[in-house]
Amino acid sequence: MRITSNAYDSSLVNQLNQLSAQQYTIQNQVSTGLSVQAPSDNPAAMENTLDYQAQNAAQTQYSSNISTLQSRANSVYSVLQSLQTISSRAGEIATSAGSATSTQSDLSNYADEVNQLINQVVNAANTKDPSTGEYLFGGTASTSAPFTTTTDANGDVTGVTYNGNSSVNQAQIGAGMTATADIPGANTGSSGAHGLITDSQSGADLINHLISLRNNLNAGNTTAITATDSANLQKDENNVAYQVANNGVVQSQLNLAATFATNSSQSLNTMISNSSSANLVQVMMQLSQTQNAYQAALQSGVKIMQLSILNYLP
Amino acid sequence: MLGLFGTLNLAARSMQAQMTGVEVAGQNLANVNTTGYSRQSVNIQTSPDITTGIGSEGTGANAASIQQIVNTLLNSQVQGQQSTGGYWNGQQSALQSAQNALDEFLNGASSTSSTSSAASDSSTGLASQLSGLFSQFSAVATAPTSTTARQALVGQAQTLATTFNNVSTQLGSLKASLNSSLSDNVDSANKLLSGIATLNQQISAAEFSGGTANDLRDEREQDLENLSQLTNIATSTETNGAVDVSIGGQALVTGYKVSDTLQTYDAGGGQMLVQTAAGGQPLTLTGGSMQGTIDARDGTLATLQNNVNTLAGTLITQVNGIYTGGYSTTGSTGGNFFDGTDAATITVNAALAANPNLLQSSGSATAAGDNTVALQLAQLGSTAQAALGNQTFNDNYDATVAALGDSLQTANTQVTNQTAVTQMLSTQRSSVSGVSVDEEMTNLMTYQRAYEASAQLVTTLNTLMGDTLAMKTS
Repeated sequence: MRITSNAYDSSLVNQLNQLSAQQYTIQNQVSTGLSVQAPSDNPAAMENTLDYQAQNAAQTQYSSNISTLQSRANSVYSVLQSLQTISSRAGEIATSAGSATSTQSDLSNYADEVNQLINQVVNAANTKDPSTGEYLFGGTASTSAPFTTTTDANGDVTGVTYNGNSSVNQAQIGAGMTATADIPGANTGSSGAHGLITDSQSGADLINHLISLRNNLNAGNTTAITATDSANLQKDENNVAYQVANNGVVQSQLNLAATFATNSSQSLNTMISNSSSANLVQVMMQLSQTQNAYQAALQSGVKIMQLSILNYLP
Repeated sequence: MLGLFGTLNLAARSMQAQMTGVEVAGQNLANVNTTGYSRQSVNIQTSPDITTGIGSEGTGANAASIQQIVNTLLNSQVQGQQSTGGYWNGQQSALQSAQNALDEFLNGASSTSSTSSAASDSSTGLASQLSGLFSQFSAVATAPTSTTARQALVGQAQTLATTFNNVSTQLGSLKASLNSSLSDNVDSANKLLSGIATLNQQISAAEFSGGTANDLRDEREQDLENLSQLTNIATSTETNGAVDVSIGGQALVTGYKVSDTLQTYDAGGGQMLVQTAAGGQPLTLTGGSMQGTIDARDGTLATLQNNVNTLAGTLITQVNGIYTGGYSTTGSTGGNFFDGTDAATITVNAALAANPNLLQSSGSATAAGDNTVALQLAQLGSTAQAALGNQTFNDNYDATVAALGDSLQTANTQVTNQTAVTQMLSTQRSSVSGVSVDEEMTNLMTYQRAYEASAQLVTTLNTLMGDTLAMKTS
């Protein structure tokens, strides 16, 4: 084949262009750590990466939802603890008051204590979620105080109204999984989540039962205390115990979901990295190969181009 | 018998012939870097001999012709490859711009900072904005009355809407710029056509008295190749040396005349195509950058625009379908979340954007803290949409991105292949028609030596003549 003067130049320029382009690509891969940057680099890997990224974003959101629910479950738990103390104290009072040795003055003292307990219960039931400012026990009507009370001339609570509803919000904690940390303040229906203070499924009605206890204490009606109030307060205590257990179940469900979300996120990151990250060892090998070829092309090109018949003409 | 004077003439003719050789070598050397130049060689022939008593006697040599060394088959192959190369180049540049418009790139910034963070992160494209929207719906569902969560949701939705608008605008302006580059191509093609017609005339005129108009032919070949890059052409050579050019079966250059030119026309909806100007005949192009541009515009790009619009449209209807039935913390209901119908017009409802408290996340008129609607919207992100081929929003968009990537990858590969083929052909052609400095220098010396020898003959004859004249005086 006849090789002309410009054949060398143009093929050398072409080869150098190709090698430079390769070096550029490889250098880019090394510096970014990615083998796929644009959709055209590897359409299938890009599609997978985008898909994994979307899933990863969802897992991150699940994690964040879970931590919101966890903090709410913790707030609920601390309220439940205080309600547990209150209801067991009320039970003790009912038992002590029912014994034959109690005098009316003892009963009046008990009544004062029960009044305080009632106020504590109302306060506890009107607790807000510290992070969102929502009322914890208003059901989904969580923007206004769930319990309002009526008082008599002495400032004693004589009745309570529940302003919330019996629904609870479910939140996403995983793909297709929802959970709730909420407890409605009252549920007078025959199904759904048990109410915190009033619940017709378990017969709990803590505030009204406390009011009845106080009234009976003031009236010295120990028979009614023994016959009715003790039993009713036991139901309240059982209901709170149920809620504590339930809260424990929710918390462990949330912990599991949190672990799952973290693990999913990690494995998605691995998958993203597998589909779009550059294999550094391989890329560095390619780089040194390309550099060798580039050097060889330059060296041989320059040597060949320097020589022509002109070098030997007198 | 030539005699002294006859031989002197022979020497003079020989010197002329060798001089022509030197001139041609010089011309070749001068054009060693001229694009499209085909090397020339002088054809030196023996002069007609004369009959003498002792047989026929030679009368030396003369330069009969200067011929161009070309391979017309290679030339037509180059034309064909230029046309294919032009087609893929047209596609490549259009699709490259479309890929930039989508702005769906992975960047590795986070991979170097920490091993636990995502290896790649695409934060500006529609894909992450879409998943971000559903994440924010989920966040609102988890804290339905939180103003911060609402504000974040509305902000995310606005970013998504703006991204949709940007993609739509960029794809729209890409379409406009493809149309204008098509019309630029048509202008260039018309100039080349008239150039070819003019050259046809000049070549015929130059060759009328015999010989070949080498340099004009090189120039015309160059024009034909440039035209081939723009569109596929068919050529035929007339007996007078003129080349007729037709595109898509329509004769455009006939002999010395441009019989018709090209123009763009609107085939409806701003879809610019090419037709003959006088005949008004729509042309079916099969190669060249014009068709590459048209195919990219009406194929991949149109599908892309369509997909993005369907995605935005479906998102608007689906989100609003759930959202309008919801109630806000202020008790309002019936509002839209997104306004608009497609990627170009999608916006977050203006009233909602101004007051995130109007977000209708509750499913109950009486329970502001309810999250039913927000939860349904969050779950919409993982719901397959019939309008999107039973894919989720993200999956559908990911597939759209991959389809564009596929088309561009094909174009890239084809351009690389085509460059290699063109390079190979031009090496082949240069091996036939290209100028070699070594060769021309050798030729130069060959003719120089021959010229010197003929000059020596003149000197010898001069001496002989002197000797002859001296015979009389002595």
